[in-house]
Amino acid sequence: MKRIVTSLLAAAAAVVVHGQARAADDVVIGAVYPLTGNGAAVGLDAKAVLEVGQDLLNNKHDAIPMLMGKGGGLAHLGGAHIRIVFADSQNDPQKARAEAERLITQEHAVAIIGSYTSATAATISQVTERYEVPYMSADNSSPSLNQRGLKWFFRTSPHDEMFTAAMFQFFKDIGAKTGHPVKSVALFYEDSIFGSDSSAVQRKLAGAAGINVAADIKYRASSPSLSAEAQRLKAADADVIMPSSYTSDAILILRAMNEIGYKPKAVMAQAAGFQEQGFLTGAGPLAEGVMSRSSFALDATKSRPAIPAVNAVYKAKNNKDLNDNTSREFTALMVLADAVDRAGSAKPDDIRKALIATNVPGNQTIMPWAGIKFDETGQNTEGTPVVQQVTNGTYHTIWPFDLAVQETVWGVGK
Amino acid sequence: MTAMVFQVAIGGLLMGLIYALVAAGLSLIFGLMDIVNFAHGELMMLAMFAAFVIWQYAGLDPLMMLPIVAILLFGLGVLIYRGLIARALSVNFNRGMVQIFVTFGLAIFIRGAAQFVFGGEFKSINTGWLAGRTAEIAGVYLPLPQVAASFVCLAAFAGLLLISRTEFGRALEATREDRDAVALIGIDRDHIFALGWGLGAATVGVAGVMLAGFYYVAPNVGANFALIAYVTVALGGFGSLLGALVAGVLIGEVEAITAAVLEPSLKQVGVFGIYMIVLMVRPRGLFGKL
Repeated sequence: MKRIVTSLLAAAAAVVVHGQARAADDVVIGAVYPLTGNGAAVGLDAKAVLEVGQDLLNNKHDAIPMLMGKGGGLAHLGGAHIRIVFADSQNDPQKARAEAERLITQEHAVAIIGSYTSATAATISQVTERYEVPYMSADNSSPSLNQRGLKWFFRTSPHDEMFTAAMFQFFKDIGAKTGHPVKSVALFYEDSIFGSDSSAVQRKLAGAAGINVAADIKYRASSPSLSAEAQRLKAADADVIMPSSYTSDAILILRAMNEIGYKPKAVMAQAAGFQEQGFLTGAGPLAEGVMSRSSFALDATKSRPAIPAVNAVYKAKNNKDLNDNTSREFTALMVLADAVDRAGSAKPDDIRKALIATNVPGNQTIMPWAGIKFDETGQNTEGTPVVQQVTNGTYHTIWPFDLAVQETVWGVGK
Repeated sequence: MTAMVFQVAIGGLLMGLIYALVAAGLSLIFGLMDIVNFAHGELMMLAMFAAFVIWQYAGLDPLMMLPIVAILLFGLGVLIYRGLIARALSVNFNRGMVQIFVTFGLAIFIRGAAQFVFGGEFKSINTGWLAGRTAEIAGVYLPLPQVAASFVCLAAFAGLLLISRTEFGRALEATREDRDAVALIGIDRDHIFALGWGLGAATVGVAGVMLAGFYYVAPNVGANFALIAYVTVALGGFGSLLGALVAGVLIGEVEAITAAVLEPSLKQVGVFGIYMIVLMVRPRGLFGKL
């Protein structure tokens, strides 16, 4: 009996030791996303694409022509694997804060990646600053996030100021090209940090470009009805409606405009909900002609040869094409993994130094960007966005003109 | 200008009638047995998903599937009463707390289960007899799916009023008045409660199906409506059907007018402002009997 117990204990100890040895090999990255609640659709896609990234980093496969595209683990860390631990923010800034803290203290994450909504990124990045681990902002777009003097904040994605500058550049270019100038815009934005930051930049740039702001409508996110808001947009009838909205509101406002017989001349969205599949199916023919800024161009396969390979793996797993959000999440993970690899160490401080030294040319990513290089605030300065337009239910790139796959069409809805 | 005023008023009315029907089921259950059903919005969400699934696989129009979903929800309501609420009512300690947490827990469970089964993606019913259609009268646009929903709401209210005139309705009323005394005259209290839950769930089911015809379907869609339903019930008076109808329309109008005149982000301020005033002047609600 005694012998049996002893051998059982020995076996258990062996399992524990083995488990520890395995854990020491793995580099743990925490990922905070809304996996339940009103951001769940985006959060679950993020989880899927990060898992795809994790598999591509760790497993052996045919080389993909991109950063960290070889697979087989982190070469400078003896082939160590990246292990992503997911946590659910429920799209609540306070829960996001608690989960980030748990990932760092309990799961020993050496970096955090996140988090879709800017409101949750604001709290997560305070936790990472306190614990001194890098926060890799994959898809948060509020310009204020990197303006808070944080040392551990890094953002690969362009922020809304860069996105908005691109939109106004597009207005100018398209006016010069087609003789169809944009004279007035209607701002339509939800009432959290994303909407207010986005609209503030749009207001500023509209003023600078001499474009009249015909309506300035701040609405309550997730309202049951947006019909009165649609009425105000109709009354203003601006040349371009510029919404900053998440999916549910994006569907509702297009339907509400249709319900009162209003066909907008043009819609230029600050991506977010407008780039989601749920919006495209939900709004259906009403979405035809909607324009949106995007940091991703699925159709830019000529200059970004890695897109088809990555998209195929992702589509096999999640039955969707890569979009504006998932592509950025994937890219952020690759940049982070590359930094860990170059650091040759899983110490947060070494990873931070490697991140600061990051310099990746655009064609080594799946993004249409010029490249990835962080300034002293942790912002990637080379993330150049594109403008896309919905035709036949999907987005196609229409600007910059050298990346365009089709001509710009005016008018929204069929 | 007049067209715009009418447009805003009609928008408020059409949405208000939906609010009213969602609140009616909640009010019914509360009036009957003093239980606030925190899973009410989730029942509506389930009805919307049921409508979506039937539309996707059988291609039925929302109007056609109305009876099917109403019966499904009726059964679910009875099941929830028999399986959970009856048990929660029979505990001997901390009964109030148990009753709150049983429906609250149910709400979280249903939402999680819906996300597990259907995923978090937003879904919509895009085709149907009325989908996306509008009618124009003198510059005022009427979205037909919402107009149909309004008529169904009014019909549902008429149906509920008719039911309250039947023997079953009188038994409901008697059980509400004194749940112990009715046993003496041979009314099975448990039976009445179960039917009350069935009726409440079926009512919100009808609202859910009509809403699904012009709204998106997602696991969290009920939460947005549930908050307004609680306010509607409190504003109209707990347990009053007429109160739910009037308060629903009132809330729809206040919301639309606040959004059109003031800033749209303040529209709930208008709603809760009216609610506070009624609460101060008439704490039992507009049509409350207590």
